[in-house]
Amino acid sequence: MTGPAIQVENIAYSYGDLQAVKGISFDVQPGEILGFLGPNGAGKSTTIKMLTGQMSPKSGVARILGRDITKDDPEVQAQIGVCFEEKNLYLNMSALENLDFYASLFGIKDPDSMEVLRRVGLAERAKDRVHSFSKGMRQRMMISRAFINKPKVLFLDEPTDGLDPVTSAQIRATIKEEAERGAAVLLTTHDMFEADELSDRVAFINDGEIVALDTADNLKLKYGTRSVKVRLRDGDSVREEHIALEGDGSSARLAELAASPNLMTIHTEEATLENIFIELTGRGLAG
Amino acid sequence: MSGPVTRASIVGSLLKKELKAYSRDKLYVFLTVLTLVAVTILFQFLPASVNESITLAVSPPITTLVGDAKDTLKGMGATDEQLAELDNADLAEQQEGLLLIEFDSEADMTKVIEGTLEAWRTDDGELILRDKEAGEDEPENAEKLGLDIGIAFPPTFIADVATKQQDISVTVYSDAGVPVEIQSAMQSFVREAAYQLAGEELPVGMPDEEAIVLGQDRSGDQAALRDKMRPMLIFMILLMETFSMSALVSTEVLQRTVTAVLVTPARIGDFLAAKTIFGTMLALTQGLFVLLVVGGLTAQNWSLLLTVIFMGAVMFTGVALLVGAAGKDFLGQLFYAMLFVIPMIIPSFSVLFPGTAAAWVRVIPTYPIIDVLVGTTIYNATWADSWTSLAYAAVWLVVLYGAGLFALKRKVESL
Repeated sequence: MTGPAIQVENIAYSYGDLQAVKGISFDVQPGEILGFLGPNGAGKSTTIKMLTGQMSPKSGVARILGRDITKDDPEVQAQIGVCFEEKNLYLNMSALENLDFYASLFGIKDPDSMEVLRRVGLAERAKDRVHSFSKGMRQRMMISRAFINKPKVLFLDEPTDGLDPVTSAQIRATIKEEAERGAAVLLTTHDMFEADELSDRVAFINDGEIVALDTADNLKLKYGTRSVKVRLRDGDSVREEHIALEGDGSSARLAELAASPNLMTIHTEEATLENIFIELTGRGLAG
Repeated sequence: MSGPVTRASIVGSLLKKELKAYSRDKLYVFLTVLTLVAVTILFQFLPASVNESITLAVSPPITTLVGDAKDTLKGMGATDEQLAELDNADLAEQQEGLLLIEFDSEADMTKVIEGTLEAWRTDDGELILRDKEAGEDEPENAEKLGLDIGIAFPPTFIADVATKQQDISVTVYSDAGVPVEIQSAMQSFVREAAYQLAGEELPVGMPDEEAIVLGQDRSGDQAALRDKMRPMLIFMILLMETFSMSALVSTEVLQRTVTAVLVTPARIGDFLAAKTIFGTMLALTQGLFVLLVVGGLTAQNWSLLLTVIFMGAVMFTGVALLVGAAGKDFLGQLFYAMLFVIPMIIPSFSVLFPGTAAAWVRVIPTYPIIDVLVGTTIYNATWADSWTSLAYAAVWLVVLYGAGLFALKRKVESL
């Protein structure tokens, strides 16, 4: 098919009087990773639940691979992979049994479960029951389960939440591989570095609304300042100088400092995604 | 390689997963095996027959009482034929349900009743006394008698009564465990016997039948404890599976594994169908296993029995779905399981206490199930005898299973 793998137009959802998602719109192309960045309670998980068929939008239209998600279409479900924030694995079953079971629900007769486990570094523990796995191993299991049907659309809800840096890096690498394979990835996270590293585009969601949606670079250009921080040795102490990259004389001053024997470091001072989020919403990503 | 995903293949996959999850839950596998073994062993030890006769000890023997009275009765004008009738009288044989054990010695009789001596009766009716404390061996080809009550007559009792002597003393001995009502009945029996021996007519007439039994007369057709327990054991197994099944359901809900299942081509209907089929098969298989162990399945009743066990299995699966959806943790699940199971177990006790069950017991959903089980396994009830109970059970089945499905569906959708 051509066109977006995920197409969302003005969908909304409310829990009683609380409006969790307020008419948001976006799309994700095949092979693209869209980072959904927002604090807890912003509406990220509710959006994923609507798009994966766990709940129906109160209004609006959403299509996965061109098919309406409200139609409860098993053909759509067969093409998606979901990694939940909760580690909802069958603890009394082995890693291999978990994957084989889910593969059977997709009608996969000869699943490549061992290969999927190998990709997330769990091949050696394939026959161990999941209850003996560490938190990081369980998270890798969650990722591998989302991959078992080679989905065209991946929904990853906080895939590296609470993991150590090494495990997080492993998981990010596999997510990139899936996107390179052609899968459209909707990644929710409140980790700005993860969103920055993985996402082709980033959507900021706050109080159920998308407040910004663009590539990370464009957001930084739009909302950040272009400057560099230069650190110089000054006798026994260290001196910092901030030089704006716009304006007359900035290039000359930068060249002068670069030639100085007291130069220690030069760093760009682009805005982080968190800085931009705070600027846009008045609140941080951690909350 | 992806193949066509059919509802049947999805339900099949879910069933395989259920079996795996169940077989790996050590607690419930242990409880299931333990229950099956306990039921099998318990059943073997239950009495297989009912002794409907009352055993009564007397001293001295009837022949002694009669022999001593003959001269006196002859002096009072009794004919030879009438005296011969006394000789031929064997109260123990003639009185239906009354077994007389005759002791030569009143002292021996009291020792047997108080338990310091044992009384054994050979096949040809000979009474043997055994002093167990003295290390005497058990007699061969003899049956041990349980004697709780005995009557000691004076040797001249018949003659004294016939001649209307005053101050005749008859002693009724009874074990401390004998109910007061039985003791009073024995005293009345002695008085009545004396009254008739004295040639007096009783002032109250009885109808020909002597006693009119209201309801079904089980006289001579009493169910042995083993027979009574048979439906109860089957019922208990069905009930036990409520715990196992509700644990499987609540684990799936609490760990939210069901959510992961439902983002695949599997639908909530597949999930509910798999739970229902697995729960029903689990209970039905174990119910049938117990039925084979305890007997009760015949060429005449098999279809009725299988139907009622199947209905019970579905009903308890419905309860398990309800409990599994309600419990928020292990203790919560246990609480809800007990909340349902305790009232539902009450009708099974009505089997042990024959008679008409109270109206409130008949309202309990499991009553029609146990009623058909009892009727089929004990009293050879047929489809025609059971259809009202089956219809009533079907109504409850629909209500409970429907409630279970509704509650679990709501719960899963709210996750």
